[in-house]
Amino acid sequence: MSAKDISNHITSRLNLTRRSFMKSTAGGAAALGLGGLIETRTAKEAKAFAYEPYPKDDELETVVTSCAHNCGSRHMLVAHKKGDVIVRLSTDNGSYQANGHFGKDTEEEPQLRACLRGRSYRQRLYSAERLLYPMGRVGKRGEGKFKRLSWDEALDYIARKMIEIKDKYGSTALLDQSYAGASYGVLHKSDQIEGLLGRFLGMFACRTNSWSVPSYQGTTTSSRWTFGTIEDGNEDDTYAHSKLMIMWGWNPAYTFHGGNTFYYLRMAKQRGCKFVLIDPQYTDSAAAYDAWWIPIKPNTDAAMLAGMAHYIFANNLQDQDFINRFTLGMDAGTMPDWAQNSPNGNENFKDYILGTYDGVAKTPEWASAICGVPADDIKKLADMYARTKPAALKASWAPGRNAYGEQYNRMAAALQAMTGNIGKLGGCAEGVGKAWHAESVAYPYDQYANIWFASIKSDRWAHCVLNYPNVSREEIGCWPRSDNTDGMIPNIKGIFWQGSDWFNQLTNVNKEIQAIKKLELVVCMDSTITPSGLWADVMLPVATHFERHDVALPWYKGHYYIHRPKVIEPLGESKTDFQIFTELAYRIGEKDGKGEIFGRTYNPKADRSYFDNPDAVDEAYLREWWEQKVMHHQHVDMSWDEFKQRGVYKFTFDKPYVAFREQIENGKPFTTPSGRIEILSTELAQIADWTRTRYGYHIPSIPKWIEPWESLNSPKTAKYPFHLISPHPRWRTHSIFNNCSWLRETYEQEITVAAADAKRLGIKTGDTVEVFNERGKVVVPVYVTERLMPGVAVIYEGAWMDLDENGVDRGGNPDFLTLDEPSPAGAFAYNTVLCDIRKTHLEHRPGWDQLATSRAHVFRRDL
Amino acid sequence: MAMKLDEEKKAKVKLAVKRRKKEVYTPVIPDTQLGFVHNNVDCIGCRACEIACKDKNGLPAGPRFRRVQYVEGGSYPEVYAYKVNISCNHCAKPACLPACPTGAIFKRQKDGIVDIDSTLCIGCRRCEATCPYGAPQYDPEEGIVKKCNLCVDEIDAGRKPYCVMGCMMRVLDLVDINQLRQGVYDTKAIAPHETPVRAVKNFADPTLTNPSIAFIPHSKGKVE
Repeated sequence: MSAKDISNHITSRLNLTRRSFMKSTAGGAAALGLGGLIETRTAKEAKAFAYEPYPKDDELETVVTSCAHNCGSRHMLVAHKKGDVIVRLSTDNGSYQANGHFGKDTEEEPQLRACLRGRSYRQRLYSAERLLYPMGRVGKRGEGKFKRLSWDEALDYIARKMIEIKDKYGSTALLDQSYAGASYGVLHKSDQIEGLLGRFLGMFACRTNSWSVPSYQGTTTSSRWTFGTIEDGNEDDTYAHSKLMIMWGWNPAYTFHGGNTFYYLRMAKQRGCKFVLIDPQYTDSAAAYDAWWIPIKPNTDAAMLAGMAHYIFANNLQDQDFINRFTLGMDAGTMPDWAQNSPNGNENFKDYILGTYDGVAKTPEWASAICGVPADDIKKLADMYARTKPAALKASWAPGRNAYGEQYNRMAAALQAMTGNIGKLGGCAEGVGKAWHAESVAYPYDQYANIWFASIKSDRWAHCVLNYPNVSREEIGCWPRSDNTDGMIPNIKGIFWQGSDWFNQLTNVNKEIQAIKKLELVVCMDSTITPSGLWADVMLPVATHFERHDVALPWYKGHYYIHRPKVIEPLGESKTDFQIFTELAYRIGEKDGKGEIFGRTYNPKADRSYFDNPDAVDEAYLREWWEQKVMHHQHVDMSWDEFKQRGVYKFTFDKPYVAFREQIENGKPFTTPSGRIEILSTELAQIADWTRTRYGYHIPSIPKWIEPWESLNSPKTAKYPFHLISPHPRWRTHSIFNNCSWLRETYEQEITVAAADAKRLGIKTGDTVEVFNERGKVVVPVYVTERLMPGVAVIYEGAWMDLDENGVDRGGNPDFLTLDEPSPAGAFAYNTVLCDIRKTHLEHRPGWDQLATSRAHVFRRDL
Repeated sequence: MAMKLDEEKKAKVKLAVKRRKKEVYTPVIPDTQLGFVHNNVDCIGCRACEIACKDKNGLPAGPRFRRVQYVEGGSYPEVYAYKVNISCNHCAKPACLPACPTGAIFKRQKDGIVDIDSTLCIGCRRCEATCPYGAPQYDPEEGIVKKCNLCVDEIDAGRKPYCVMGCMMRVLDLVDINQLRQGVYDTKAIAPHETPVRAVKNFADPTLTNPSIAFIPHSKGKVE
């Protein structure tokens, strides 16, 4: 402790008057009062500033860490702590990195400023909903009645049930529903593939995996077919070089997806980039970047893109040289010879667009009738996109969360390719958009990782449980296996949620409620009580990322690592996921007679004392990861110790990182079967029996417009006239932070309704409505606006469900209305929902005392 | 809780009230005047500044020192939207200051920060009523009025307020407001071709108190 620290310490200990403290800081304040109210006789001491005493930042210990939840980016949080309590959080100020200084914020090394969600983390950390002890269910499942358990009781129960279920029902009986919720880091990882749970259940030899990703499976599949990888993204600083940015369903002002994406777009705007938004909503992104807004009917994006492609081909505006050199199946000239024998058709994209095969030219007029965008606007945009170089068509995930969402993403990729905007600075091939490749796994990711005995489309678990064994493999999207268990329907009897609130977040919750009643073991591991947790048999308290040692990385965009030390000791009895699985492995070994082998192999650097003190082992894993992977593979010369001391490492590149630059500039083959950008997918073209694929149902070899099962164009609108979309909110990360009052003041869980529709229905902002279809009903307040396409309604996903006695969700979770029918390629059809709206006397239950919360100031027109 | 006045404080309040009755309020003319500049157009309305402020000041639900106001208009599909982000404007002639019956509100000579001495505030909420911008915020838990003090501790430590340091878009900055108005203060909040203005729509008449704030207005938010 320095002399100053000691003095401050004593000052605070003695609780000296507030006034004393300004004496030392604000000499100038003594001069106050010339002509002012202050009487100089009594103002010899400076004024205190409001609501002091509280410790100033410089009196607190500063610890660099980051946020940790499932939004794609990781931004810096700087904890200012006193003793074992985090007093407040700040963010990057440029001073922590190597060669940094206060205020440094360059285009190459921008500050990693946290968003509103990250800034509110103290409220989650210290929330009333924080789970502090293992809890065991005492009421009926879902009733929400629990009692406190000891770790011994909880883990023994789980270990015993796991063995029992495996013995009775076989190796597919436990469903892995781990997701990237609250535990995302290189060591303490929750994930479908790389997660700690997957390795644990796999080694236990009882695991059914969930393979489709809720947020972007249509996009993932499309990118893999087209480019052979999901790393089709540019780093976000490249956006500053675009001349035209077409934001297709993309709202970076809400998602903050990527290190500084939204900020680089501002730079692009200042440098003359023009912005276009295709979206049913006039979003804040459109407003901030002064975009040309093109409202579009949800789930018709592929049609509009086809119309644009037609205009480009018809006017010969395509980059034919690029097409010839890099694409497969774009036109007759780029069709491979083998395609003649393809069991899945011999069509090329251009001839499909021109109508050669079906006699229907996919003209802008044809598209307009489907998507609701005037043909002239489609032509104008196509013309702009084809003539502006470089131009970025950023095809985001949301329009892909649809029936046949993969076709939208493939169609967008075809446009990106035909205009030659791939592999070029200022262009864009996204898609998934994952860019710079980080070293992301520090725990033992070995031959035991991601072992599974069945793997299904993630939103089909309830269907599988409810209909077992009368389920066909295509209904649940069974991933093929090369052994004799191929196509075996899993007999799911238990679920593990690790860093996952999937019960609240997957589709058609009412069906899930039916299914979960049939299970014999439901375990939820999280830092807070969650809506899913209330349906569990056992809730295990997991330490937050402030309470364990790890390293954060942005998995999406941004090139940096942020150190996450153990800032404070775990609250209550919470433990890390890694501690819990390790101890469970030892306990299972005790019970099934196989001894310590499971525990030791699961966590090879640890022994059983890890459950009580994980620090040295965690440090060993992380140091090894840094020294052998990061330093070695990524040519980093900062030592692990220096990294820990600074808290952050920012990479700088010689030139902006652009996906596929090597392929385009130097002729390196793409990682597709043909080495080309596959508009015609080699994989799809070879498929004859669709039931034996993970897709289950037919998918055309080239991108095509396919009519979705519900949309504003379908006859079902007679009964349910509104198309409901459920985008990612700004004020939550999915369902995380739903319980934070600070964030509660920035929004209301409401349904957005277009002004014209509201007028017709006789509803106004602030009214409460019920939103319903044949799958469920939710109760929410209304926000009426001109910023939305008529016929469309919006409820942001992630609200915590709150069922009344009739099964109506008063909390406003849109997934009571969504359908658990994925697209063939696995895309969740979150945005393929028809519903109706009517005024109601039922009360919305926001889960929060609204009287205590000051609401956001919104100046709206007199609606 | 609202301060319970002991004898010493009561005497002080009496003195302050007596003085207030005797004197006509003459505004403090600060050595320099700090103030915020906000780009109404480029702001994405994320409210990271609001949350940073709540966290910095340890505020419960209710009081909001910084308020990002969402403005929208037009008719479908020709619509517009922009943000007006204000906290306390640390006015040249603060309306709150002379309204305070206990003399708790003061303006700092050095940099023009207007602040409330929480040891003198009795929670009467008069300042709340007089401020045209809604800056003073009542804290129901403590029974006193609080407001933005530009993170004076951070200013004194040579840094900028939490809201500014937290702005993800770099559209909010704290500047020497007079220099900014003269066009000689460099800030990322303003793009090269943009000129700051003193007022926008949805913002009270600046002639009332001469607030120390500047905006980059939206084309639909300009006032004469």
